[in-house]
Amino acid sequence: MEEEYQYSGSGEELQARELDGEDQKLQHHCQLPGAEEKLVLQFMDSMHNYLSLFDEVSSALRQGWFDLASARHSMGASRINSSLLDLKFHPAATTLKITNCDGTQPHFMLRKWVSSEHESTQLEDEHVQPQDDSVKSSGLADNDEVQKERSKSLSVFGVLISPKLRASQLSFERALETLIEIANMRSSLLYSFHQLQKAEDTKQ
Amino acid sequence: MANRVQIPTNSSALIAMIADEDTVVGFLLAGVGNVDIRRKTNYLIVDSKTTVKQIEDAFKEFTTREDIAIVLISQYVANMIRFLVDSYNKPVPAILEIPSKDHPYDPAHDSVLSRVKYLFNTESVASGRR
Repeated sequence: MEEEYQYSGSGEELQARELDGEDQKLQHHCQLPGAEEKLVLQFMDSMHNYLSLFDEVSSALRQGWFDLASARHSMGASRINSSLLDLKFHPAATTLKITNCDGTQPHFMLRKWVSSEHESTQLEDEHVQPQDDSVKSSGLADNDEVQKERSKSLSVFGVLISPKLRASQLSFERALETLIEIANMRSSLLYSFHQLQKAEDTKQ
Repeated sequence: MANRVQIPTNSSALIAMIADEDTVVGFLLAGVGNVDIRRKTNYLIVDSKTTVKQIEDAFKEFTTREDIAIVLISQYVANMIRFLVDSYNKPVPAILEIPSKDHPYDPAHDSVLSRVKYLFNTESVASGRR
């Protein structure tokens, strides 16, 4: 542990301040040329993307609500409501994978329509490149599994359903993908904010 | 703030929802619905009969469960428990305030933006306050 001594404004008192390892690293990092500017840029970019993505998600949700209302109009209100929701034990078909890429901020990855029976045919977020060629070659099987899971989700509301309900499902899937991007942007925004805050505190 | 928070990695985490019926139904169509062996769900449908206490309890439950990575909450519902949402500061689960049919998204009420807005507040910077 490094100890630092500094005089107060009166010049009479001696004040000992310990810097822990983390503050030392941050101070060193911020002393690198352009490090703080880089953080500010990351903060501003994250803020801009965070707000833009919310416009996108609002638009996708509006479309989803409209399609759901249209489906309810054609199928009847009694056929699309929360009382029909499946309360028997069942796992989620769409989940998230959290990774901690650089040890500082969480990164969320969407895993859509992963069947509990066929975990190997999972589809991941489009930003993640599949590492195994066998996943690519079984693309058709993946699509069949995805369609099967989608139909299973729709079957809660009966067998004969309005095309608007399918459209609503796709809109909400799109909204979900955008929300995961927002979650990642939130991570980046809060991380850069906290780093800037710490840098300001360290300077003082 | 000075303590480093452990970020848990999870290969199969859930998305929880506290929202109106149409929003929850829509996201359930997208496959996020989960019901465990004890018949506990990862969502709460908020309607005119839902009390603030129920919303608070659901929020506390979802933010303490280890299998939940993101909590989607309608912004008008978040406004009912604003003190609880604003005091939450863990990285996981992430709290995302979403619009609802009758209440469009308002950045002025977003808890994340409220937290970081002081960086744009020239008064606090000039006075040297935190």
